Amino acid sequence: MTEPRTSGLDRALDEALGRAVSTPELPHAFRTRLNAALARTSDSDLLSLREKMETERRQQLEELQAAYVRVRRGTLGTVIGVAFAAGAAATIAMPWLRAHLGAYTPLAITWGAVALGLGMVFLDPLRSLLRRWSDAG
Amino acid sequence: MHAAVSDATERDRDIVELLRKGNRDRAFEELLRRYEGKVYRLCCALLRDRTQAEDAAQESLLRVWKALDRYDERASLSSWIYAITRNRCLTALEKRRPMDSLDDLAEEAELGLPATGEPCDGRAKQLLSLVELLPERLRRVLVLYYYEERSVSEVALMLGCPEGTVKTALFRARAALAEMLKRRGLDDPTYWQEDAP
Repeated sequence: MTEPRTSGLDRALDEALGRAVSTPELPHAFRTRLNAALARTSDSDLLSLREKMETERRQQLEELQAAYVRVRRGTLGTVIGVAFAAGAAATIAMPWLRAHLGAYTPLAITWGAVALGLGMVFLDPLRSLLRRWSDAG
Repeated sequence: MHAAVSDATERDRDIVELLRKGNRDRAFEELLRRYEGKVYRLCCALLRDRTQAEDAAQESLLRVWKALDRYDERASLSSWIYAITRNRCLTALEKRRPMDSLDDLAEEAELGLPATGEPCDGRAKQLLSLVELLPERLRRVLVLYYYEERSVSEVALMLGCPEGTVKTALFRARAALAEMLKRRGLDDPTYWQEDAP
């Protein structure tokens, strides 16, 4: 006797719940508000992207500047060092050179310095050329 | 849940295809047309508050838009959207002051006010007030089941649980409601019929 009443109640309850639990309708302005929020998000995304790129550019410029100063200092140091070393070498080697070359000593020192300078100038290009040849080989 | 997931994957194949082609705007437009209502209803069921549900649905869809490029197809698109929505609702629930919300809900239940806020007749009010007294996990399954036109598979997808769990929750919810009706002497089926006086 209870079983039919229970299943009858289940059916009736299901129907009553179907009527009572009404599906909430999407608010009228939902899409409009969402589109506005999306537009705001896109704008802020673009803005933050621009800020990020500007920051990165500033950092790169600072790094380049620092590297440039480092190179200038290095170059200056090298030039001074090489000049002192050359002077010292020339002073030490002068008696031996005079003994062997006589009057040609100043000319020999000048040509030696020129050869050293040219060697330093062309050392890097020569190295990269050799590297390319070895890579191609 | 596997059948429901594969159905959902099949349903959203066109959107996924648009995403693969890099057509994000059209994919999102189609996604909105298909899911904005469902996302809103899920928020309503989880949050019990229309205003908060609207905010949560808007924010969830915004998150979906932002993350759409990163959708990797590991889960079905609908599962992914519903997971984002559930997370957003959980955050909203955590932010709520627990005592306030519990008091409000208890008061609503006592007064027999419908949680959905829709105008309804006396019997519907009675029934909804009893639904509000159900344990939260049973209430949300029951409410979503009727929101989604009695689709167990959709409710399972929305809540991220197996269909069996939904069926069990529905069974328990109905049993609990029937018990409450019996205790109040309202278990006569004819009382709940639409054309009853």
